[in-house]
Amino acid sequence: MKLKNAKDFWSGVMFIAFGLFFAGFARQYDMGTAARMGPAYFPTVLGLLLMAIGAFVAFKGMRTESEEGHGRVDKFHFKPLILVLGAVVAFGLLLRPAGLIVALLALIIISSLGSGEFKLKEILPLAIGLCLLVLAVFIWGLGLTIPVLPAFMER
Amino acid sequence: MDLINNLLLGFGTALTLTNLFYAFIGCMIGTLIGVLPGIGPIATLAMLLPMTYSLEPTSALIMLAGIYYGAQYGGSTTAILVNLPGESSSVVTCLDGYQMARRGRAGAALATAALGSFFAGTVGTLVLAALAAPMVELAFKFGPAEYFSLMVLGLIGAVVLASGSLIKAIGMIVLGLLLGLVGTDVNSGVSRYAFDIPELADGIGFVGVAMGVFGFAEIIANLEHGGEKRQVFTDKVGSLMPTWDEVKQASGAVLRGTGLGAVLGVLPGGGALLAAFAAYTVEKKLGGKNANPPFGQGNIRGVAAPESANNAGAQTSFIPMLTLGIPPNAVMALMIGAMTIHNIQPGPQVMTSNPTLFWGLIASMWIGNLMLVILNLPLIGMWVQLLKVPYRLLYPAILVFCAIGVYSINNNAFDVLMTAAFGALGYLFFKLRCEPAPLILGFILGPMMEENLRRAMLLSRGDPTVFFTRPLSLGLLIAAAALVVIVALPQISRKREEAFQEGD
Repeated sequence: MKLKNAKDFWSGVMFIAFGLFFAGFARQYDMGTAARMGPAYFPTVLGLLLMAIGAFVAFKGMRTESEEGHGRVDKFHFKPLILVLGAVVAFGLLLRPAGLIVALLALIIISSLGSGEFKLKEILPLAIGLCLLVLAVFIWGLGLTIPVLPAFMER
Repeated sequence: MDLINNLLLGFGTALTLTNLFYAFIGCMIGTLIGVLPGIGPIATLAMLLPMTYSLEPTSALIMLAGIYYGAQYGGSTTAILVNLPGESSSVVTCLDGYQMARRGRAGAALATAALGSFFAGTVGTLVLAALAAPMVELAFKFGPAEYFSLMVLGLIGAVVLASGSLIKAIGMIVLGLLLGLVGTDVNSGVSRYAFDIPELADGIGFVGVAMGVFGFAEIIANLEHGGEKRQVFTDKVGSLMPTWDEVKQASGAVLRGTGLGAVLGVLPGGGALLAAFAAYTVEKKLGGKNANPPFGQGNIRGVAAPESANNAGAQTSFIPMLTLGIPPNAVMALMIGAMTIHNIQPGPQVMTSNPTLFWGLIASMWIGNLMLVILNLPLIGMWVQLLKVPYRLLYPAILVFCAIGVYSINNNAFDVLMTAAFGALGYLFFKLRCEPAPLILGFILGPMMEENLRRAMLLSRGDPTVFFTRPLSLGLLIAAAALVVIVALPQISRKREEAFQEGD
């Protein structure tokens, strides 16, 4: 069967999945009674509600044409997605062991690869400038306690 | 007069050197980021929130408010000069503002936007100050049942007045409510959905959610299109002075825009965006046919009305946030989050328990608006230069500030990774046309709603009819139901789509 509006259909599937997740794991917790609600009560009700909404949206997506032109889901661009988020993950993983400067360089260089017009001549000055700015504002200015140098070099 | 005394107290707080300084910094940074296309006020606030942690709560909120209306202001500059809305409520300003710029009247358009916004901001602040005390009075009559019903109304109102699919927006609210429940349950001490990850026991940080879903997802979406070409009218901003004829036309539009914006800002789901749309539509209806030049071709009323409306709406949307502790839109949800981080329990008691904060914030809004006029008009050349920075250099810088901001909340790298995960989720939402703003609202209200539901049900001994037998609560629920019914009616839903289409 052909989906009339794939955006809605997959939104519905996403809602059902989240609803299932929250209502399902709520079973581990105490339900309580209506007068004395346990920790499971509210999430169970909401989870079931979300599943119902999801089912409705998915059903509508199968049957009703989209109002805004084609209902297909636009292509996912994995290159910027992976490079931008990967850069952030790299920052998070590097910060403690390698210190702020290494983590910042990784973040800036990896993320700027995602633009498709990467020029090292441009990015290097940008990276150095941003490192200095961050040091000035956050470390010396606001006095945040972030390790600046790699762990083995810090005393 | 209480109002005068309160305002005096407020100005006393806001005019201290420290608070003036932070209001200035807030306006400055807000404008700076607002000018850059592609980052809205929500992402801006989420990104800069961590910078305010080390401040006094009053100074922090003053600075955040400054960032908010600064971003609002900066957005209009971009709209007029580049035809790219810096943030969503400037979409309407693009229509006539950019056309004015093309005809060499960019200066007049910018001046009108700035002065109109200042006037609207002044009125909005006065309305806020005058309504605050009666609203707080009303709020003290609310029991848990009323609070629960009010939140239902607020959430429903927020999606009804927003664009896009109604049912999907409700789904996003519920998802937000559920995400808000992650962490330790206050009543039983049970840790929910934390899966033995210690960082999750305190709940998901809302800064991470907002930054990931709005900030990161926006950046990825912007990069899809590759290098963009924009034409900036930088060389010929022209004279800042509007002609006498323009002044006459604009002043009526400013008055109407301000009135409309002030009313719409208070409504749940209202605020700047809706106000701007409505004001533009009203101007067009009022003798739009004979307008010279016609609307859409550079009529100054098309700049004056939405710009004053969005500023008035931005001010008055603080009313439900400050007096009831209930955010009418996603930006106010972030402000609530900021208050909680500073250990201020949002709600009607803020006015009595923290009067200097409450009135100081209100007074600082007027001062901030004044600063913005002073900042924007003479410094316009500087903001224009900023528009020439290519996006490929801009977004790594944005990411740097986001990453450090998230990390510094708890000095924890786990939060950075979680923000990246929400970035991926936000990109999925973008692809599926699921609006993220209702999710943020739900996320903030989730724990509050559960708490009030539990209390109401405990007091009624498990009888759910309590929500319908208490008159105030019933009235709020009827209003919520009426909103859904009205919007679901076929004629209205078609009109609603048209209204939102017009801005595209």
